[in-house]
Amino acid sequence: VSFAVLPVWAALLLMAAAGAAAVVLFRLKVRPPRVAVPSLVLWRRVLDATRELTWWERVRRAVSLVATAAIAVAIALAVARPGPRLGAASAGRTLIVLDSSWSMLAESSLGGTRWDRAVALARRLAAAAAEGEVAVATTAEGLVEGPTTDLALVETALLQIEPTGGEGGAWPKVAGADAVHFVTDGALSRSLDPGVVVHSVFDAADNVAITAFGAGGATTDRSPAEAYLEVANYSAASQRARLVVSRGTTTVLDQPVDLAAGEAVRQVVPLAGGSGGRVMARVTAPRNALAIDDEAVAWIPGAEVLNVTVVSTDPSALALLFEREASVRATFTSPAAYRAGREDVVIFDRFLPADAPRRPALVIAPGATSWIGERGPEETNPQWAPASRHPVLDGVDLLTLDVKRARPVTGPGLTPIARSQKGTPLVQVVDDADRRYVVVAFAVADSNLPYAQAFPVLIANALEWLARPHYGMLARPGIATLPATVSRVTAPDGSAVAVSAAGGRTSAIVTRPGLYLVEAGGSRGVLGLNVSDPEMSNLARTHVPGSGSSEGEDAGAGLPWWMLAVALAFSLMAIEWLTWQRRITV
Amino acid sequence: VLRFEDDFLKKLEYLHVVSKRAFAGQNRADRLARKRGRGMEFADHRGYAPGDDFRHIDWKAYQRLNRLLLRLFDEEQDLPIYLFVDTSQSMRQPAKFDQARRIAAALCYIGLAHLDRVTILPFGDDLGDETAPGRGKGRIFRVFELLEAMEAKGPTDLREAFMAFAGRTRQTGLAVVISDFLDPHGFEQGLKMLGSMGHEIFVVHVASQADRDPGALGDVRFVDAETGELRDIDVTPGLARAYQDAWETHTSDLERFCGRYNFGYVRADAEQPFEQVILKTFRQGRFIA
Repeated sequence: VSFAVLPVWAALLLMAAAGAAAVVLFRLKVRPPRVAVPSLVLWRRVLDATRELTWWERVRRAVSLVATAAIAVAIALAVARPGPRLGAASAGRTLIVLDSSWSMLAESSLGGTRWDRAVALARRLAAAAAEGEVAVATTAEGLVEGPTTDLALVETALLQIEPTGGEGGAWPKVAGADAVHFVTDGALSRSLDPGVVVHSVFDAADNVAITAFGAGGATTDRSPAEAYLEVANYSAASQRARLVVSRGTTTVLDQPVDLAAGEAVRQVVPLAGGSGGRVMARVTAPRNALAIDDEAVAWIPGAEVLNVTVVSTDPSALALLFEREASVRATFTSPAAYRAGREDVVIFDRFLPADAPRRPALVIAPGATSWIGERGPEETNPQWAPASRHPVLDGVDLLTLDVKRARPVTGPGLTPIARSQKGTPLVQVVDDADRRYVVVAFAVADSNLPYAQAFPVLIANALEWLARPHYGMLARPGIATLPATVSRVTAPDGSAVAVSAAGGRTSAIVTRPGLYLVEAGGSRGVLGLNVSDPEMSNLARTHVPGSGSSEGEDAGAGLPWWMLAVALAFSLMAIEWLTWQRRITV
Repeated sequence: VLRFEDDFLKKLEYLHVVSKRAFAGQNRADRLARKRGRGMEFADHRGYAPGDDFRHIDWKAYQRLNRLLLRLFDEEQDLPIYLFVDTSQSMRQPAKFDQARRIAAALCYIGLAHLDRVTILPFGDDLGDETAPGRGKGRIFRVFELLEAMEAKGPTDLREAFMAFAGRTRQTGLAVVISDFLDPHGFEQGLKMLGSMGHEIFVVHVASQADRDPGALGDVRFVDAETGELRDIDVTPGLARAYQDAWETHTSDLERFCGRYNFGYVRADAEQPFEQVILKTFRQGRFIA
């Protein structure tokens, strides 16, 4: 036996003290209540009569004494949180690693979640190793506490950590660890060092999950946006689930679906109704142990309406382009009338304001030297050189663009993403933490841009990158690597996610499924995270070998021992009370 | 406490205390006395002796028999009734003491209504001051006041009390003992002594629930109401049953004792309605008719 909150010797001492105190209290001569009777004549006769004591009358006081002591010991035992002995107690340094995968949030048929049982198991492991140092780590966050000999610190850490789903990176290590215990449900396959003692908290559970979800934008007027959905029933029995898909605030699908045991249903859902880029799917089912995989999100790039201000003396080509584009709400203004506003993107066509704009900007043929940089030498009939990969040029066939004259600018922060064969920068970007621009070195009138197939693609890419870049969908929680210019990441619940910049990139640890808002240089991009992991959602399977009969089964299954001790104490108290009321016991 | 309803008093007036024997009274009343005298009921003849009142000579018999015969009549006198009321501490329970005093009051009223000579004698371990309210039912209110003023205190000793009673010269009559008979020295000696004085004894055994049932279970410190003696007893269900058995034995012993010595016995529980005790129980016990 080991104890979760006390060393073994302290727990035994506590029980002995409780039992002794109960015995002392039992034997204390309590002053009995006084009852006046008319006469003791008859009592004297009764007591003087030689009445043979029954067997029970002879032993009942001893039985009551034993029962009272047993109640005290059982309560002390419950307080000490006993459990089966978990391996040999180490007097050295012990590392306890808890599996942070989302499957640990699954409801257990034994009460609580797998995580609750894992924490309880970790407590007992820590108590068993209390003679040495204990360190606590998770697979997502690495080392969270220790090594320490202070069990209170370990307890605090165990209360604070929770499954975050991610695999933080390398397996947590503590120098000089004599014993490493890994508490897991075995949902995910891991290769572990031979010395790691695995404790399983697995117990099979039924689950229904969204295992795949994605969305694509409309390609033509007749081909609306679509979502792809896959729902699986990891249950031994068929069950009816309910699927709900919504776009923005509009529900576009709400239907029941019958899922056979082990069946996965795949469905393409037209997103004809609704608006906006946010798409969400939800499944509900009666036997569904894990909630976190019941929701999935997707983002349709370019589906959000952008407010664009065009500052130009001749915006006819852009006006014609935006006239057919429902996702762009364009406002046209002359350079003389331009005032900085709260638009998503501003387009400066052959014009630059005196001061650098605070909003993301597409600058076409900036012309004279200004805040953006100095004017470079003009090149006539520049020929496109192979361009670098950049979201602005994604899908743009530059070779279809004929440019008569290019007037580049050079300045700090300007990064060419497309050049002429002579090296003249033709398309440049500014990607700083506080500004984001796309600079095109040639005017619309100096090229065949209005008639080229690349024109709408280039403008759409530029607007999307400037205003609402899509940073993709993550399949698993963990560290999201983002551009260095990212200044803030906001979680789905509105809380700020800590970001750190290193090596020219920004990193953010994303742990909760949903859409994250990523802000960089005035843009408000989107990063998505879904669970969508069949391996994790299948709660009827484990990778821990022999977890049905191993030490872990003993450790995690069944009612906790302290509950049994409490039940025993209360049962004894109830029996003692009832029999005392009838004076069967004393 | 001791006031009776008028209806109930009327019912009492139709009752009278039954005495199996005739006792000599002091005053004329409506109860047959042992001696011949000037009553209304013819009893016998006897020969005339000088000095006899010749108003009682049966002249018709003289005519037939030519002998002077004197007509004798039964004397109708009052009956001496001694009401012994236990005022020891064991009677202190209100229900029990009230029942005893009500019974005493009712018997007293019946006696007064029939011109009997009633004497009320409170007793504990000694005989208290006796009270003879007089004759006639109008005296009942004095009796009520007397009984209300009674206080239950002191121990019980029937033998001492009746010994004190024997020391006082008085006529034999009907002695009614109203008590719980929880005498540490036993009830036998006292009752025997009272019976040996020539009185007709009638025992009214007043008991309450507290006498019959220990009530409390578990560790209890019992306090004897009379002596103040303390006794710590772990009352188990078995012991409680043994006590109840002891109580039943005590009751049956008393009843058997009364039967053996030809004493009347009536048990009047404190919880029993008082009218039922008087009008039913006492009649069934042939104490009143």
